[in-house]
This record gives sequence, C-alpha cells and structure tokens, in this order.
Amino acid sequence: MLEAKLDAASQLKKIVEAIRDMLGECNIECNETGLALQSLDKSHIVLVSLLLGSDGFSEYRCDRGVTLGLNINSLATVLRCANNDDILTLRSEDRANELILTFEDSKADRISEFNLRLMDIDQEYLAIPETEYAATVVMSAAVLQRTLRDLSALSEAVTIEIDKEGIRFSAEGDLGKGSTHFKPCVDMENAENSINITLSEPVSLSFNLQYFSNITKASSLSSTVTLQMTAGMPAQIEYKLPSGHVRYYFAPKIEDDPYA
Amino acid sequence: MGIKGLYKVVSDHAPGAIRITDWKALGGRKVAIDASMSLYQFLIAVRQNDGFQLAGSDGETTSHLIGMFYRTIRIIENGLKPAYVFDGKPPDLKSEELKKRDALREKATKSKEDAATSEDVNRFERRTVKVTREQNEEAKKLLRLMGIPVIEAPGEAEAQCAILAKANKVYAAATEDMDTLTFGSPILLRHLTAGDQKKSPITELNTGKVLEEMRLSREEFVDLCILLGCDYCDPIRGMGPTTAVKLMKEFHSIDKIKAHLDEKGGKVQIPDDWPYEAVRKLFHEPDTTPADQVELKWTDPDVEGLVEFLVKEKGFSEDRVRSGAAKLTKGSSVAPQGRLTDFFKVSKRPATPDKPANKKKAKK
Repeated sequence: MLEAKLDAASQLKKIVEAIRDMLGECNIECNETGLALQSLDKSHIVLVSLLLGSDGFSEYRCDRGVTLGLNINSLATVLRCANNDDILTLRSEDRANELILTFEDSKADRISEFNLRLMDIDQEYLAIPETEYAATVVMSAAVLQRTLRDLSALSEAVTIEIDKEGIRFSAEGDLGKGSTHFKPCVDMENAENSINITLSEPVSLSFNLQYFSNITKASSLSSTVTLQMTAGMPAQIEYKLPSGHVRYYFAPKIEDDPYA
Repeated sequence: MGIKGLYKVVSDHAPGAIRITDWKALGGRKVAIDASMSLYQFLIAVRQNDGFQLAGSDGETTSHLIGMFYRTIRIIENGLKPAYVFDGKPPDLKSEELKKRDALREKATKSKEDAATSEDVNRFERRTVKVTREQNEEAKKLLRLMGIPVIEAPGEAEAQCAILAKANKVYAAATEDMDTLTFGSPILLRHLTAGDQKKSPITELNTGKVLEEMRLSREEFVDLCILLGCDYCDPIRGMGPTTAVKLMKEFHSIDKIKAHLDEKGGKVQIPDDWPYEAVRKLFHEPDTTPADQVELKWTDPDVEGLVEFLVKEKGFSEDRVRSGAAKLTKGSSVAPQGRLTDFFKVSKRPATPDKPANKKKAKK
C-alpha cells in the first residue's frame, strides 16, 4: 500500500499543473524510494520524467510497489479542490482500484476526501541511455521562460547556440528576426541569476517553441533550470525539486538536410 | 477494392492495431501516397454544388488537379513529406476484377442515360468515374512542378508504397486500400487525403500489431486475406470473415484448409482451380521497384511553371496558385521535427513495477 503526506497541497498542485498539458493517461510507479512517472507526449516529441523522492514527503510509506494508472487531467481537477496550504495525503491499498486523496485544513476542522478511479494503462517506456552532454547550462528558470516567450512572437522555432562565449537564443519568421545572448556570469547576491556554462564542444540545436513553452511551465517549481544538449540529440531540461526532479527530454528539429 | 471486410476483421480481432491519430502526431514524417487512389477520390469528391465535376473553360475536367494541388499543400503545411506513387501495369490476375469494374461502369452509364431526376444522374455519374491516362499524366506534371517526388510503380501502386514503407524509406503508406497491409506495409494511414479532416480523422493501422494480436504469422495473414476475398481471385462461396479467421487459426494455411474442407465435404469448398498459390506469390513478391533504387527528393516548387500550367492552361486563379506555391516553399523550408522514439528505444511496461523507479534512483 501507499501512504504519502505533504504539508502543503500546493507542492503537488504546482507539479501536476506544470505537466498536465503534455500528458494524458500515464502510470505513476510508487515504491519505498518515492513516486516516479515517465510518459511521452502524444506526438513523441517530449518525454516527461518526474521523480518525487520519499524524503520530499512529511510522511511516506510504501512497502510494496504500487502502480497508479491515472489520467493526469483528472488528478489536476481533483487537486484544484485543495487549498494551497491544506495537508494532502495520498493513499492507495494494495491492488486497489482507486487513489484516495485527503485535504485537511490545518487550522479548521475540515477534511475533504476524493477517490480517483485508477486505470490499467498499457504504456510504452523509453530506455534513456546514460550520456555525457556536450554542453550544460544552468540559468534562471524565469529568464529562460521569458526569453522563449518573447521569441515565440516571431517564429514557431527557436535555435539555441552554446559556445564558450555564452548561450544564444534566436528565432526568425515573417515579421523579422530576434535573438538574446547571455554571457556566463556569477551573481553573488541572487545566485539564481547566475549563468553557468560547462562545455566540451559548441552546440547548436533548434526546437519547437510551442512545446518548449509548455516545458517552461515548470518554472514555478524551481528557481533555476539545467539545460543539457549534444548536437543531433534530444536535449535534457531539468527542474530540481526539494527531493527529486521534473526532467524533460526534448527532440530537436532535424536540421542537416531539409529535403532528405 | 482491397481485401473484403479486412478492416472489420482487424477492428474485431486486433483493436490495438488501429489508432486514430492527427496531423500533429505525423509532423515531419515521410509518407508514400497511392496516387491512383487519390485521383479517383478527387474525381468523385471534388465537385460543384450541382454535383458536376469542376472544369476549365474548355470543358475539360480539373477536379483531379484541384484536389491534388490543395490537398497536397495541406499535407505539406502540416509538416508531412508526401511522395506519390502511380499505378503501372495491373497484374494479369487482376484482369477479371478489372473487367467486372468496367462492366459496372457501363451499367452505371446506361442507368445514367435512363435516369429521370438530376439526383439520379448525379449518382450514376459518380459510378462511371475512371481516371484517364491524360489525368494521370497531368497529375504527375503538377506534382513535379510542386517539387513532390513522383514514383511510377511497375505494378500496383499500393504494393510499391508498401515496399517503400517496409524499407523505411517512408514512415507509412497512405491509401484506403487495405491490401497494403497484405503487401507488408508496417504502417497504413487511411483518410490522409480525405476532404474534411474533422469528419474522418486519420486512422493508423499497424501491421505488426495486427499479427501480434491476431496471433498470426505473416504467411498466415496473407492466406487469410486471400480467403477473405481480394482483387486477384474470386471469393469462396460461403466463406465469411468469421469462418475464414477460425479456419486460419486452426489450420494455418490455405493448403491445409482446402485439404480439410475436401475431406469434410459440405457446402463450403475451395475449387481445385482456385489460383491461390499465384495470388499468394503476388502478395509476397509483388512487381515493384526495389526501395534502394527509388530516390525521394523534395525540392522547392517551380512557381512560374505552376502558373503557366494551372493558370494559363487550366484556368485557375493566379492569386490562389501563387499563394499555394508560397505555402509549399514555406513548408519545404521548415526543418522537420525529430521524435524521441527515433533516438531512444521503446520498451513495454516493465515486469515489476518498482524497476523504473529504482533505475532512476541509481541514476541520481
């Protein structure tokens, strides 16, 4: 069985809101180390990988592996019924066909309980090999979101170039073109505004901005984001959680030969 | 056309092989489209309000060109890369079927002459439709001007589409003909060139899943299709889909089914002169150009050439041709979107639920 408690429902609400647009039905795997979810979006362009370590919960118990087959949008709907500072408990018995969510108001005497029906989902998983990326950039999540939002007015695609001079975002469309360049820097006062680049070789990749802006919805979860890229490979974009992460694998546009 | 009742057999016995998909999920994919089938659809469907085909000022039909032009633009705008495959010489085995179709057309022509109301005329007129050699040539000319690859199959277009998909030259074969599955295309897309996308969403059929869910080998599947009734030999009297599937699962080949039926006697019999062996050979080794000899190349459209052909010869509006050509240029310059499934290996649900979580933990 699973029993997991969070002191503030907002923690889970924010995560689910960040990923729900990209996902439909998927399995959440629970075991003694925590909750994990891996799911491809419908068009196979983005893979969402979520890990919530057991340490991130104020109370956590899961003796035997449990699979929760859920519609993420239904989960989001139920979570909207919780106030941000409610105490949230997730419960599921072994082999049960429902997930029980309880929302407790810490001050008053209100307890709400919702039962979500579980589904048997035949899901595909991707085996992601351990790789060393050619470039790793750590930057402010809010700045990345803003930069991409600005460029999405121009085009449906953004090109990201990383070299030792910095990281450059550019887009070109019918209106014209635009770009933003960031040099590596260290901000002592606001650490999250630092831009840290580790590079073994320069990289240039293009991505669909619609999907990218969906990914950056996770900016509410973490002050910084880690972008990892290698030429011709999917990028890894990670938002760290207090215990765990929301990680995206994002397929780039295929640049080399548009007619092939 | 195609295999009799195969879609129903697949949806009954292998529902997991059918997926309703949309343009978004297909973006960036290359597809081989059965041009002969599409032209036929355009001649039937692209009509004026009074039901008659669209024609240029000289009275010659232009429905096929309008359909080809605008629907291809829509496919490109959605990020797909289409290649059109045209029929070559039909296999000798098909001559009986073609004779039958000609007879039906003649009958419809007659009925049309006798028909009283315009509605009837209209209905029978659609049944007389046949794609002429000139219309085929015009469509090829149009596609070449649009920068779209044109492939002339030595035999059946759907077989050539299947070979290209099998060799991974394209992602899928797009046609309504179900026998594309029998020819071994891993993926078949239906309704890709259909008119209103909302009314008939694109259906994706996966041959691998059909075989897996029906627990048939490819040889058994081909034999089953022949039993169901194809374009190349007469169906067996009294052999419906239910019986065919049941017999194939029990006996695994037409030869053994025939032996069984011969022994059992009864009403359902496979005639001794039924040419199933020749048909089977046709499905396994159709007359096609090997995929590695087919070059697929998409280029920018020849705008002036299109204007010359469509506007001057066929009386299209110049503005619309030019704006269509601009869409083609734009579509061909957009880099296709990659897919994670092309980079990473897909695995089925792990046997023990706690495995993926453990793996992730180890990675951290």
